[in-house]
Amino acid sequence: MAVEIISIVVVVLIVLAIALAFSIGANDETLSTLVGAGVIKFKVALLIGGIAVGVGMFSFSFAFVAKTVGADLLGEAVTYTEFMLLAVLISSILWLVIGSFAGIPLSSTHSLVGSIFGVVIVYALTHGDVNPETAFNWVKLNNIILSWFLSPLFGLIITYVLFKILAKFYLSKLKGLNQIESSEKRFKWLLLIGIIFAEIWVGANSGEAVGILYGLLDGGTLNLEQYIFFAFICGVFSCLGIYIAARYVVRNLASQMMDSRPSESLITQISSALILMIATLLSLPISHSHVIVFCILGMSVAQRKEVDYKGLGKMAIYWVLTFPVAAILAGLIYFGFHLFGLG
Amino acid sequence: MKEITEKELKKLNIDELTHLFVDNINEQNLKLIEGIEFLVEEKFDEFTKNLNYVIETNTEVQIKKTFEAKIFKSKLMFSKADRLKLFTKINDIKGIGEFIANKMLLYKVVFPDNEFKTQLISVLKSLKSISNGLTEAIKAIGSDLSKAQNICEDVKDERRKMRKEEWQLLNRLYNYDMDYLSRTFLYLKELVEDIMMLADHIKSFSEYIQFLATKYLIFD
Repeated sequence: MAVEIISIVVVVLIVLAIALAFSIGANDETLSTLVGAGVIKFKVALLIGGIAVGVGMFSFSFAFVAKTVGADLLGEAVTYTEFMLLAVLISSILWLVIGSFAGIPLSSTHSLVGSIFGVVIVYALTHGDVNPETAFNWVKLNNIILSWFLSPLFGLIITYVLFKILAKFYLSKLKGLNQIESSEKRFKWLLLIGIIFAEIWVGANSGEAVGILYGLLDGGTLNLEQYIFFAFICGVFSCLGIYIAARYVVRNLASQMMDSRPSESLITQISSALILMIATLLSLPISHSHVIVFCILGMSVAQRKEVDYKGLGKMAIYWVLTFPVAAILAGLIYFGFHLFGLG
Repeated sequence: MKEITEKELKKLNIDELTHLFVDNINEQNLKLIEGIEFLVEEKFDEFTKNLNYVIETNTEVQIKKTFEAKIFKSKLMFSKADRLKLFTKINDIKGIGEFIANKMLLYKVVFPDNEFKTQLISVLKSLKSISNGLTEAIKAIGSDLSKAQNICEDVKDERRKMRKEEWQLLNRLYNYDMDYLSRTFLYLKELVEDIMMLADHIKSFSEYIQFLATKYLIFD
């Protein structure tokens, strides 16, 4: 009976991980600048973006962020059980759904890491043989939390500096509307390359889905061949997420970006991609949306545009709240499993 | 203005079509101003001829049609909507000019005195200057936005100067000792107010060009 339940939970976990990969693609708005600039046809843009995210997700699924989420966050004495992973996924999804209904933009990365933290702490407290102090890889967690603060900040600084350099040596030299138009026409092709680069790193750093699968691999539930297969499926589904579901977000945002300059979009996308690349290579899961918001902020500061500090402050509160709320939620869910003897 | 065939129009790009259109509208504006000058000089035949020219000329319609067909299919990216708005604003000048011409043709007025005439001529001179200035600014948008911005600043200065004279004209009109025929009073009052309307449109257009310059120019 217990074996049957575990098998069902494993199937549910794999299905949820794949659904999560789909939703990562579905929520990706990176392509909107490319579509807004009218560089290539809408469906071609969706296809290219989808493939780039899928390739990024699958290629980096063997280590880096997936390994951090699926194994390295835990202390030496702890490996994931199926119910721990289920609690993590339920909590992450629940908090994101609550955020969506409330109209609050939340980070799935912060939500997932917060959930892992909550589950591991409750696991340690409910299992006498596990010391809560060593149940978690605190050094890794500290690095991740530090990266959550540093990545947006660096995004802002890099965007600011890149824009200032480009403005000083090139953009300020353009005199008339015709010259500006021709220059931006050249930038739109660079933007296409920049977006592909950005999408690869978005996929690579989106360790939520493959991280869960890595947890199953690390716990011995999946073997390597099965892991590779399901990681590939996650890549495919993130691509499908963009192609099928992200089109609405992308089209909506793109229509608001008809006036945006490809040169400016290129700088924000390159800056955020650089941050994501560095974070991925350091195996740190960071929030893409937080980084891009600060890159756009860096652009506004560089152009001396008005900044909505009130809106930014509100967003920051939810960003800070995500980790503890997800941790408490996941802890309670896991505790519920434990009470029913499932933990 | 030289007639231009449909085939020739289709060969022109968005920028060239805008230039041709603004030249066309400015020419009609200058004809309108010249017509009012004829009225001041009581040369009624020339006055009627000039104002009828403004009403009857429709060469700009074909330019407008060609422009609209081109802009929708145009590969221009972020300046597309602004260029369309710019064109619409030029077209509004034609509408105002036509409205003034129709109204002025309703009656042949004889001006009360030479002071009124002299001051009106001075206002018309300024109107001619800001109309030419605006045309030059529109043509500079494609090649030099800073130049367009500076020309618009001059247009706005001239408009400020004009306004003082316009109020003086109205003040003079309201304070004549002679009891004028109500038609003469009404006509002259509306003439000054219509000039004000056209000049205000040119001023607000200049501000729009300055907005474009601020939007598109990047300073280090």
